[in-house]
Amino acid sequence: MKEYVDIPQTVDELAERLPTLGLGTERVEPHESDAVFDLELPANRGDLMCHVGVARELAAANRSAIRLPATAPRRDRSERADAVHVDVREPQLCPRFTAVLIADVRVGPSPRWLARRLDACGVRSINNVVDVTNYVMLELGQPMHAFDYDLLQGGRLTVRFAVPGERLTTLDGVTRVLDARTLVVADATRVVSIGGIIGGTETEITASTRRVLLEAAIWDPSMIRRTAMRVGVRTESSARFERGVDIGGADTASARAQQLLIEVAGGRIASDMLDRYPSPQPPRQLAVHWPRVGRLLGIEVAQAQGEVMLRSLGFGVTKQGDKLTVTVPSFRRDVERAEDLIEEVARHHGYDRIPEAMPVEATAQATRAPILDAQHAVRDVLIRTGLTEVLTVPLTTPAVLDGLRLPSDHPWRAMVPLRNPLIEDHTHLRTTLLAGLLQVARGNIHRRVMDVLIFEVGRTFHPSGAAVLERRGVAVLMTGRLLRGAWNTPEQVSTATFFHLKGVVESLVSELRIGRTLFAPATVPWLHPGRAAQVSMTGQPLGTLGELHPDVAAAAELPPGVYVAELDLDEVLRHAVFQPQFTPLPKYPSVRRDLAVVVPDGVSAAEVERVIEEAGGDLLEAAELFDVYSGPPVPPGHRNLAYALSLRSSDRTLSASDVAAAVGRITGALQTKLRATIRE
Amino acid sequence: MPSMQELERIHQEAVAAIEAARTVNDLDEVKRRYLGRKGILAQLFTELPTLSADQRKRVGERLNALQGELTENHGQKEAALRQQLQAVRTQAEVLDVTLPGRRIRLGRRHVLTRTLEEMERIFFGMGFEVVEGTEVESDEFNFERLNMGRDHPARDAQDSFYLSDDLLLRTHTTVVDARVMVGRKPPMRILNSGRCYRRDAPDATHMPVFHQVDGFMVGERITFADLRGVLASFVRQMFGPQAAYRFVPSYFPFTEPSAELLVWFGNRWLELAGSGMFHPRVLEMAGIDPTRYTAFAFGLGVDRPAMVRYGIPDIRLFWENDLRLLEQF
Repeated sequence: MKEYVDIPQTVDELAERLPTLGLGTERVEPHESDAVFDLELPANRGDLMCHVGVARELAAANRSAIRLPATAPRRDRSERADAVHVDVREPQLCPRFTAVLIADVRVGPSPRWLARRLDACGVRSINNVVDVTNYVMLELGQPMHAFDYDLLQGGRLTVRFAVPGERLTTLDGVTRVLDARTLVVADATRVVSIGGIIGGTETEITASTRRVLLEAAIWDPSMIRRTAMRVGVRTESSARFERGVDIGGADTASARAQQLLIEVAGGRIASDMLDRYPSPQPPRQLAVHWPRVGRLLGIEVAQAQGEVMLRSLGFGVTKQGDKLTVTVPSFRRDVERAEDLIEEVARHHGYDRIPEAMPVEATAQATRAPILDAQHAVRDVLIRTGLTEVLTVPLTTPAVLDGLRLPSDHPWRAMVPLRNPLIEDHTHLRTTLLAGLLQVARGNIHRRVMDVLIFEVGRTFHPSGAAVLERRGVAVLMTGRLLRGAWNTPEQVSTATFFHLKGVVESLVSELRIGRTLFAPATVPWLHPGRAAQVSMTGQPLGTLGELHPDVAAAAELPPGVYVAELDLDEVLRHAVFQPQFTPLPKYPSVRRDLAVVVPDGVSAAEVERVIEEAGGDLLEAAELFDVYSGPPVPPGHRNLAYALSLRSSDRTLSASDVAAAVGRITGALQTKLRATIRE
Repeated sequence: MPSMQELERIHQEAVAAIEAARTVNDLDEVKRRYLGRKGILAQLFTELPTLSADQRKRVGERLNALQGELTENHGQKEAALRQQLQAVRTQAEVLDVTLPGRRIRLGRRHVLTRTLEEMERIFFGMGFEVVEGTEVESDEFNFERLNMGRDHPARDAQDSFYLSDDLLLRTHTTVVDARVMVGRKPPMRILNSGRCYRRDAPDATHMPVFHQVDGFMVGERITFADLRGVLASFVRQMFGPQAAYRFVPSYFPFTEPSAELLVWFGNRWLELAGSGMFHPRVLEMAGIDPTRYTAFAFGLGVDRPAMVRYGIPDIRLFWENDLRLLEQF
């Protein structure tokens, strides 16, 4: 680097300075007596992919100038001027193509300085001719290709699309069949290289090469990017063309390579440099109104200083008062608008000198989308019930549904596939959160973490014509102990059961102030046939809950006693109320009466409660179940449900006769509607 | 009516009986015998009128004193016995306080959700409107409206999962900026966060799904210095008032100038955010006049900063949901 620019900084100082210019310094490694900087370059700065490019940045940073390397004189006519023929048929995609013939080359190992520098840059030394082309690419950023001129049929090159089926064995030893979208360089009879990407073995430089045809061309970035992806080969050359190589510098780079070939391979320039450059672009000119610099950056940069910075980066600057006209050099393909120049000024002025300001712009008050608050509330409730939140990957495969006993037309089976999956476990988008929770439970239980009380709030994805519908869901899984330190505690209290899960769902709907939800027995493929329920709101299903079906548990390698719920969160939130209203506290005392109701086993608690509530009317404040008993003296096939009734009036203290009348209505209704027996 | 001598005897007997009582019941019996409505003292009081006026006065005074003294003795004895009784009872109720407590399991947020909410809260405090977008996006909004045409090399770094020719899983939350800008009138100060997807094979530092927080501000006087100020304020709130940060040049197709934000944490520079002034083309495509308005935008990583902050060595651990890990946060 010191050949091109004076560097006052030490290696360590440089490693600190480069990132402030936007040249991320990944690593600095010693190499013999040198230090090798491994830089992470911005994707739009193709011009920095060479030593001179980086030298230019350093020169601007240090307000000095660069020294360009020596180049060969333009010509040394000794053979026929028409020794080289080039026909570019696609000038849009290959806007410039230079070629020159070097004769009397002696191919051999490179001199030590050359091999050493290539090695420092991680490029393998091959022979002096190939090394020169690689060296100039590293130095000036122009990828080149050297052909053995005597192996080229007809002494001419054509840039054209391949004929489908044409083959080329490329320098990496792979024989490739080319298609009609691949732009190639061909001699009179065959393809000799894939333009801008990789050469062929048949015309490569060998120990017996005497005459070298040196190509320095410019290729269209998009074309190179697509071709390299399609052909499946990325080279140092293609990486540079993708980001854009200086169209104005191809001739200079060629002259530099000629100079080095003379120096290290004893060559002699044997032709004019042929330069197919049919439509040179005039340099881009940008107008910069200097006050705009301060307006965008929020800091004043003296105009004179800015002009110096831009000039040292290679820009031409003329001015009329505070209006600058900036001429963009051909190597700065990235600079297209005034904002790009403002960034140059900011960079070289120093981002660390940009002050910390606070926006003064008037805006509305901070708000949060209601759905975000709603999701936050759902998480909070579930966490308060003792569940831990998990996050699972929405990318999955249809196979995760296999153990769930789903019918073939179940909606979960309609999954959105990825066009370009990367790994076989991630081929589709999930349609349910349940499968992910089962995997989490299995993983934990395998690690002997037996108590798994978890939930996930997340999105599922469903095909909807050509579109994809995103739905929000919430799923809960419970297994194992709910209580730590549960010594001497009955297991049905300390360990997750169906009713613990139901309690979680009840807490959720109650905290969200969703009116009357209904829990009803349901047939759900993945749930135990006798321990499954659907929860609904005014006839609209919200979700399901229950014990995992034994077959599903077995398939998921889970022990018995796993309880799962999955709710449609969009639907749940549609009914939720987040702004509670005060209910006046009772002024008069309540009266408690216990009621023991004996009903046949087929009568559900929900039915009993519905009758109690209807008959109790306004005076019935609550009917809380406190015992369920079957066995003598309750007749076989029956059970006794014991309720604590709480009666209260909002406008008076209830009298004994008020209470007796209400209880009488309730017991009467239970007897006539459910054929219940009331035990005193 | 007994003599004064007899009175003294009764006094001594009563004191001894109170003293001798071993249970509250015994004591109640003594109380009934001497101090009850039909007890010995009450009987003596009824006999007072039979005495001469002179004697009546003397004996009466003595009886009154006696009653006061015995009531007092009884009270003290009763308190002592009750205390004794309670001591016996509580002794029988002794617990092994070293047995484990009954602990209801406490749930918690996933550490990434916590981090995300923490970041959101900070920007909410700076007046940002928090919005939400979809995870399935169009190529147009995810890339083209952010100045990344079909063959833009920057797309390489954001290799995407496609669902159809046009639909993909969003690769950054910046896409939501492009969405919400359309049809709104500046000024705007908007933030969103969520899951993003890139076509990366899972390893210690990559997951195909990750989180981002993205914010932007549009107005007539929004500057690069404002961007720096907002990010610096964020860094100090998130990492403490002494946090050191770096604001260095970078490149993103949708911002110009562009900057990267790094924070010194855990003895290294942590890449926290990409940012910059929205490229005029991006504003134009959103229908905002770039000659009148300027805008800054930033996109913060969530997962890797959380790894560094909590010392989690492998990004896959976030998604493994090992409860032994989740319960540490």
